[in-house]
Amino acid sequence: MKTNSDVDKLVAHCLSQLGRELSDLPASRRRQIVEEVSSHIAEGLVALDTEDEAGVRSVLDRVGDPSAIAAEAGAAEFRPRVPRADALVPWLLLLGGFVFVVGWFLGVGLLWSSSTWKVRDKLLGTLVIPGGLPGLVLLGTFSWRTSSTSCGGVSPLGQRVVIHCVTSGFSLPAAVGILVLILALLAPFAVAVHLERVRRRSVNNVHG
Amino acid sequence: MSRMVPSDDSIWLAQLRRGALEHCVLALLRHRERYGFELARTLADAGGLLAGEGTIYPLLARLRRNGLVNTTWRESAEGPPRRYYRLTAVGELALSTFVQHWQLFRDGVDRILEEASAA
Repeated sequence: MKTNSDVDKLVAHCLSQLGRELSDLPASRRRQIVEEVSSHIAEGLVALDTEDEAGVRSVLDRVGDPSAIAAEAGAAEFRPRVPRADALVPWLLLLGGFVFVVGWFLGVGLLWSSSTWKVRDKLLGTLVIPGGLPGLVLLGTFSWRTSSTSCGGVSPLGQRVVIHCVTSGFSLPAAVGILVLILALLAPFAVAVHLERVRRRSVNNVHG
Repeated sequence: MSRMVPSDDSIWLAQLRRGALEHCVLALLRHRERYGFELARTLADAGGLLAGEGTIYPLLARLRRNGLVNTTWRESAEGPPRRYYRLTAVGELALSTFVQHWQLFRDGVDRILEEASAA
């Protein structure tokens, strides 16, 4: 003879499994199905002569596999086709470089393997700016050094090179240099925001 | 005779069920309203119609969304209140259309199967 709490535990386990299987459904649909299955089980238990473990299990067996119920509910159609990892990409590209640089490469990997973004977005995300914010800082300090040691050498992508070389060669107003620096600082943010907006749009398309 | 793609029993059975089952639900509701447990047990006992009693509930929810049935709560003497399902006018129409098509379909399949086994 099972005690009531054992029966409750078996039933609760079955219902929580069902809830998980239905987790992609809109909440109202999920609630209605779980509620109905729950009262179905209650009716089944009332109909039993003796509430022993075999009886309870037979009631649950007859209810069937939660995954079959989820399949009938069309849960697969509600499963996000946009990979959840996509949500990480803008963050990894912007800040991932702080995590031993690996974070940024991970971001690039996820970016290119996802179908959420077009090639244009992928190029933008990769090239503006390699390494993200920490990459920018590195580039800045690197170019500062190279430019102050040998101004003739051109460092790749370093905006500061321009400022310093300019002082020895052509003369451009310092304001232009500062403007370029500000733009370089804003660019990674702008690209991250852009990638995030593309992602949200594609999530909405799937669910709309 | 060429062998076709090996078929998975559960797939064709599920497809066959899907179309027939919801109209069996409508048929059960033709003369009186019923609650979920009652519908599920009746269909499960009819043999082969339900994969598991619980799968009736997503189906009932869909019929309700499509306006083929509507529901009311009623108190029960034995347990929790029950949600009763009733056929709507739209549901009645869907049922009678299905009945016509089903008879043609069933006769057609039977004829083909009989001819094949007689030959």
